[in-house]
Amino acid sequence: MHKDLDGRPRVLGIRFGVNPNSSSLGVDVTYLLFGGTLAVIASMAIGAWLRTLRSSAQEYGAPPPPPESQP
Amino acid sequence: MKVRAEWFGGIVSLERPRALVSINRAMMRLLGFADSARWRGPETDQLSAPTEVHVVLSKRCSAGCTSCYVDATPQGAALSLQDAKAALDRLAAHGVFHVALGGGEAMDLDYLFEVADHARSVGILPNLTTAGLNMTPALARRCRVFGQINVSVDGVGERYREARGFDGFALAEKALRLLRKEKREVGINTVVSRSSYPHLGEIVALAKRLRLNEVELLRFKPSGRGAANFESEDLTPEQARGIFPKAQWLTVRHRMRVKLDCSFAPMVFWHRPRRWVAKFFGVVGCEGGNLLASVLPDGSITGCSFGGPDEGSILDPAATRRAFESGFSAFRSYVARAPEPCNTCDYLALCKGGCRVVAKAKGDWWQPDPGCPRVMEWRATQPVRRSPFKILS
Repeated sequence: MHKDLDGRPRVLGIRFGVNPNSSSLGVDVTYLLFGGTLAVIASMAIGAWLRTLRSSAQEYGAPPPPPESQP
Repeated sequence: MKVRAEWFGGIVSLERPRALVSINRAMMRLLGFADSARWRGPETDQLSAPTEVHVVLSKRCSAGCTSCYVDATPQGAALSLQDAKAALDRLAAHGVFHVALGGGEAMDLDYLFEVADHARSVGILPNLTTAGLNMTPALARRCRVFGQINVSVDGVGERYREARGFDGFALAEKALRLLRKEKREVGINTVVSRSSYPHLGEIVALAKRLRLNEVELLRFKPSGRGAANFESEDLTPEQARGIFPKAQWLTVRHRMRVKLDCSFAPMVFWHRPRRWVAKFFGVVGCEGGNLLASVLPDGSITGCSFGGPDEGSILDPAATRRAFESGFSAFRSYVARAPEPCNTCDYLALCKGGCRVVAKAKGDWWQPDPGCPRVMEWRATQPVRRSPFKILS
């Protein structure tokens, strides 16, 4: 069991906004300006927000069933 | 909210705030999800599918920009409506959250909004980049279907003509005003070249004046018609070192969200931001074939719109699955085989060697990005290798 993944429920990362471009969004300068403090605050706030949205969570892009369960 | 399982736990797509949130397995369980089959595999940096895909709907455009990266022409190829819908169905089945629709000029396609509606219907958020040259109030109203819309503006006033080869600034500004009347998520895309670099402040000031939500700064790439101008328009070493502090200054000065595209990552990491903060906020370099993939007008899948091998057709379910599961080795293998000085860089896992397309244009796909300030410094310390043939001659 991986301690970081299976231990305490955690937000591992956040990418705010969406990208309309041909190249991927690499650096959102705004968030690097505020550094670690903002990361900690965002992690706690988004974690709490996810808990309140728990009832609306829908699985998306589910993995295919394992071979033994396929007809 | 939509949740996609990944080896580390999952990715949550939030509508408000608009964000993709990576969570661990314990948080997935807390949200009510059973253990996923994807958690049984080995730990890897690789996602099960991209989170965003750039769909090049066409290489058709009549604007004739001098440095168009897809070499668009008025008769360029286009993905048909039927194939575009099939592509979106396939991407949704793999759990892709966002598509960036572009071209060419996607607004010139009379079925663009049908494509966008279809994306919404299958659970994908469509976003758009346009030059905005033919924008009308009615079209702007229909653009509400998109998430983020960015209008390409490479200079203010006369500088627009200098960058693109025609005078389209007034039309682009009109498009921004019309779009902003209809929605908040409207921004500007600006290609940063050697000649436009000193004037980036004018673009950010324009975005502030029009109450837009972001400015995205895109590195000039040696692709399409841009390849011919790359040597003269690539950033100077001073500009490469200065782009990140300049973007920070513009963010603070104009209180505007400024973003730098993936190919600028080496220029950012040279300033040594804290790695865990960068990782947390998704500050990364080349994510071709992992976070990002592209679908071209002939249906072929590539790791990046600017280059990389054809990985198969999006219209072929088996080829698509193969590409996402085990393809894109031209992008995914770089970290493992990175040469000096990338292999001694603390940021290699985030940066991934910078832009492969620039590296290839300068000689070799597998070499470090030659525009990286650290690479330039390292090369300056290496003894000059003289060809024996030159000496003999």
